[in-house]
Amino acid sequence: MTGKERVMRVFNHQKPDRMPCFCANGTPTYDQMEKVGAYWPEAHERAEDMAKLALAAHTVLGFDAVRVPFCQTFEAEALGCKVKSGGKENIPGIDHPPAYKLTDTPVLPDDFLERGRIPQLIKAVRILKEQVGDEAAIIGGIIGPFTIAGAMLDAVPILKASFKEPDKLHPFLDVAEKAGTALGKALIEAGADLICVEDMQASPDLIAPHTYRNLELEYQRRQVEALSVPVILHICGNVDKIVEYMAQTGVEALSLEPKSDVALARSKGGPTTIIIGGVDAATTLFMKTPDVVKEAAREQIELGLDILAPGCAIAPGTPTENLLAMVEAAQEHTY
Amino acid sequence: MKILEDFSNIFTRYDLNIEVARQEARKVSKDAVLQKVADAVVAGETAECEAATKAALASKSPMEVINEGLIPGMNEVSRLWDEGVYFLPQVILASDAMNAGIALCEEKMGKAMDKKGKVVTHTAEGDIHDIGQVIVNALLNANGFEVINLGADVPVDKVVEACRLHNPVMVTGTALMTTTMTAFPKIAAQLKRLGLNIPFVCGGGAVSEEYVTSFDLGIWGKEANQAPGMAEDALAGDSWSVMRSKWNG
Repeated sequence: MTGKERVMRVFNHQKPDRMPCFCANGTPTYDQMEKVGAYWPEAHERAEDMAKLALAAHTVLGFDAVRVPFCQTFEAEALGCKVKSGGKENIPGIDHPPAYKLTDTPVLPDDFLERGRIPQLIKAVRILKEQVGDEAAIIGGIIGPFTIAGAMLDAVPILKASFKEPDKLHPFLDVAEKAGTALGKALIEAGADLICVEDMQASPDLIAPHTYRNLELEYQRRQVEALSVPVILHICGNVDKIVEYMAQTGVEALSLEPKSDVALARSKGGPTTIIIGGVDAATTLFMKTPDVVKEAAREQIELGLDILAPGCAIAPGTPTENLLAMVEAAQEHTY
Repeated sequence: MKILEDFSNIFTRYDLNIEVARQEARKVSKDAVLQKVADAVVAGETAECEAATKAALASKSPMEVINEGLIPGMNEVSRLWDEGVYFLPQVILASDAMNAGIALCEEKMGKAMDKKGKVVTHTAEGDIHDIGQVIVNALLNANGFEVINLGADVPVDKVVEACRLHNPVMVTGTALMTTTMTAFPKIAAQLKRLGLNIPFVCGGGAVSEEYVTSFDLGIWGKEANQAPGMAEDALAGDSWSVMRSKWNG
């Protein structure tokens, strides 16, 4: 069974031969960069390098899916936010000061998909489709409305507004949702089998659960409905307080950090929600040894995962042997 | 057919039971005027807090308003945060309201109030992902520390210079990536060279305990929530090595 078949069987609610393993978030490590000869910052900027580095997740690590992009700045950049390069070793981020004020009226530019590095991202998916489309599932990454709006307004202003003037956030969330959805549709057209929505700023670590329910849920629901392939929703941190609402967005899969309660997610999401989760990206995968990683992966699998994955983006300094150990734990788990 | 194992949600409108029941802030003062000040802090209402502070200053001394109204209000906010009732935006808003009230009291006193102590915070050079630092700043501020906020992407020299200038009880560094945290031992080495043995709490993203405890002054911060407790220890005079053995390992 190919990686792609394995993954798509899970999304079609059929049994695969064994548990699939991939990362719904950023996959690159320095080790993979050396092995395939594609590096940052080029792999954040040029389609060929991006595809080459994404492919390493399949060829070097043996993941059942590949994933682009590797940062969270594509939509925000195309909406006018200033991006600061992370150089050779880091991911790019949104620079201060923010591009928008709460009193602004944002609009989605007509040429949104031609702006910034978006054309390169779309091209990277096309290349991946050509090179590995039959063997590995292709995940297109987009950013959730609240997180894009956070990039537009900056963290502190959006957090304050979420309590004081939530109504003023609607124009931003609306544009942010449309931006992510437009990108998602373009990535699907280019060949993405799955879309992963990362919405870091919607975490209960940052906003109140009722803010998620009253403000963000409806935009995410619209987004999921507009996308024609299965959608994975990833929110960082412990999401126990919002996991019920996350399931109400209509997503096929929830991607969780190990600090979240898998059984709770299962009970709130119901039997058809696919749970992706597994090994803590920082404290386990990055810092520990293969034995510890394997043990942690087995423990998480026992909790009832459908797909084994790092809990968040892989830290670029993570040793390859730790990632291989995670894949082995998935290989052991046959059906 | 699947047999249901958990019947607890049947007949329950489970969209209603997730939010923690709205909890009232406790009374912090017997004096209605001061209670109003505290209530405005708990509500995170800056304008209301300014009005209440002005009203209180008509009959109370500025230090009374601070110590019996503004700070007890903020302590309530800390309690509600610890208990999971309040979330980060409320802490930030309450801290804004408190600071607005304190500014009015200071104006009347003609001098700045004494804070518990200074803490210099920064996000490592090359790193602009400062959300962790945003949380640390809000919590330290809420707990009565004066935060010298250097912001994101701060060069080593600037951190050292700020420590020399302000002589804080503690300095913090956050980094998302493993690569930017290499600035931390450089900062620690320079502080030591200057004889500034300030506890240096480092955390965030992929910053590992092993790495931070490999250099003098370094204490690993696992969660942003630990910052106020660590700052209290530093204020009480605990050395970096005492703090490390308490918080790490």
